[in-house]
Amino acid sequence: MIELFDLKFKNPVFLASGVFGFGLKYKSVTRTVGGIFTKGITLLPRMGNPPPRIYETASGVINSVGLENPGVEEFKKYILPRIKKINNRVFVNVAGFNIEEYEKIVEEIGDVVTGFELNVSCPNVKEGGALFGQNPEMVERIVKKVRKKTKLPIIVKLTANFCDPLIVAKAGIDAGADGISLINTIYGMAFDTNTKKLIIKGGLSGPAIKPFALYCVNRLKELKVPIIGMGGIMSGKDAYEFILAGASAVAIGTAVLRDPYAPIRIIKELNALLKKGVKCQKS
Amino acid sequence: MIKHKTFILKKEWLSPDIFSIECGPLKIKPTPGQFLQIQVNDSFDPLLNRPISIADYENNHLLMIIKVVGKGTKILSEKESGEELTVFGPFGSRLKLKNKKSIIIAGGIGVAPLYFLAKKLKKQGTVFTFVYGAKKPEDLILKKEIKNISPGTVFITEYGDKKTGTAVSVLNELDLQEYEIGYACGPKAMLKELKGMDLKFPIYAFCEDFLGCGCGLCLGCAIKYYGTYKRICEDGPVFELKGIEFND
Repeated sequence: MIELFDLKFKNPVFLASGVFGFGLKYKSVTRTVGGIFTKGITLLPRMGNPPPRIYETASGVINSVGLENPGVEEFKKYILPRIKKINNRVFVNVAGFNIEEYEKIVEEIGDVVTGFELNVSCPNVKEGGALFGQNPEMVERIVKKVRKKTKLPIIVKLTANFCDPLIVAKAGIDAGADGISLINTIYGMAFDTNTKKLIIKGGLSGPAIKPFALYCVNRLKELKVPIIGMGGIMSGKDAYEFILAGASAVAIGTAVLRDPYAPIRIIKELNALLKKGVKCQKS
Repeated sequence: MIKHKTFILKKEWLSPDIFSIECGPLKIKPTPGQFLQIQVNDSFDPLLNRPISIADYENNHLLMIIKVVGKGTKILSEKESGEELTVFGPFGSRLKLKNKKSIIIAGGIGVAPLYFLAKKLKKQGTVFTFVYGAKKPEDLILKKEIKNISPGTVFITEYGDKKTGTAVSVLNELDLQEYEIGYACGPKAMLKELKGMDLKFPIYAFCEDFLGCGCGLCLGCAIKYYGTYKRICEDGPVFELKGIEFND
């Protein structure tokens, strides 16, 4: 059991936004984790990017799914109630293409969820996404506006593409956000040496980015706000490293591509390690 | 549960770069076109599991036929009988086999899932013709087994001493009027050519591609099908060829 944002969670391991869909498959996993960050929700439905959307690199994966989702209306009506039946701790990942869209999505969802994760770090869209997250003023403006629309916890999801996450995180917290989740995928690309053509341009995740993710989490420690750390966590030991770096909780992403049941194993392994020593940082 | 631990019972090289792995015990109920996600090793490089078609399944024994094309399949090729294997699946939609006169068109390693299909069709008494093309004579695998199921199978290669051609070129010489349904698996170029033939009966294409999770979670394996994106791993991998919009 951990406490974050004055709320209780059964454990500090969450499902990261994106890779686990809406948590409606493999329900035993969704049921066991501390909470869920949903797939990115946009105001309108999105078909996502054309293939190829996924490419394997050394100990990593580049993806370019492009926020495929049914849009906020259908999500709230048909999907959210089903997720809540399995696990009631749901953070909706909000992906706007302008400030108004963040406000509208949060407003449309209302107070029926645990909180919101503002996605200002998606590398796979032409407007908004990671470009917002590189600009502390933009993050401040988004959080200020959204803060007026909800009393629920607001988490800003960051990465560190060409910017210092500490500066952006500070801007978000000063504007009223309650916590930070990081890191989202980092920019990556791959080329085909035979055809000399680009194979994919997108976001890199997996064990390849773990050391960088730890560094980013640790850099935010001084803010003394809840940090949900993620980036290449494959085991309880990896998760424990994030706790040591300063995270209050962790989220699992790419590991489920290799084994959809990985979060259950990670929770067991992390619990065993936590019993031995360091406790999760309270909010 | 879709996670299984099984053992390699037999590994055999079928050509210079194609090998088969028989494993068991494995309790699943696969249909033709379905696949398993194979965990290649304990390290994270390669990170992702490898999607491998089910080439046969009987009495808790599974047959996979794999071509060495990269790092993952190379590591799999180095495994030996007795080794444990972690597999996930079976994944993919369940194909309902119709009892209609069928034609099976296999190109290269695409023969693997179609061999399983042919066995099932034979078992249910469906009449079919098997056409199997490969690059070189030594690339034609399971020849004896396929002949056993379907003595009239047409084998053809692009290079060699005998008559040369491709699986699609063979179709041009057959009277296609008599067929009601087709099944095809092979390189994208073959599927494209086949689509271009605009045949009068539906062709079901068994698609192969890079997958992310392979189990319907990540939306990584999109394919454009009748104007919208479908997931190869869950909505497919078998799609009606007419609806597939090839992206290159």
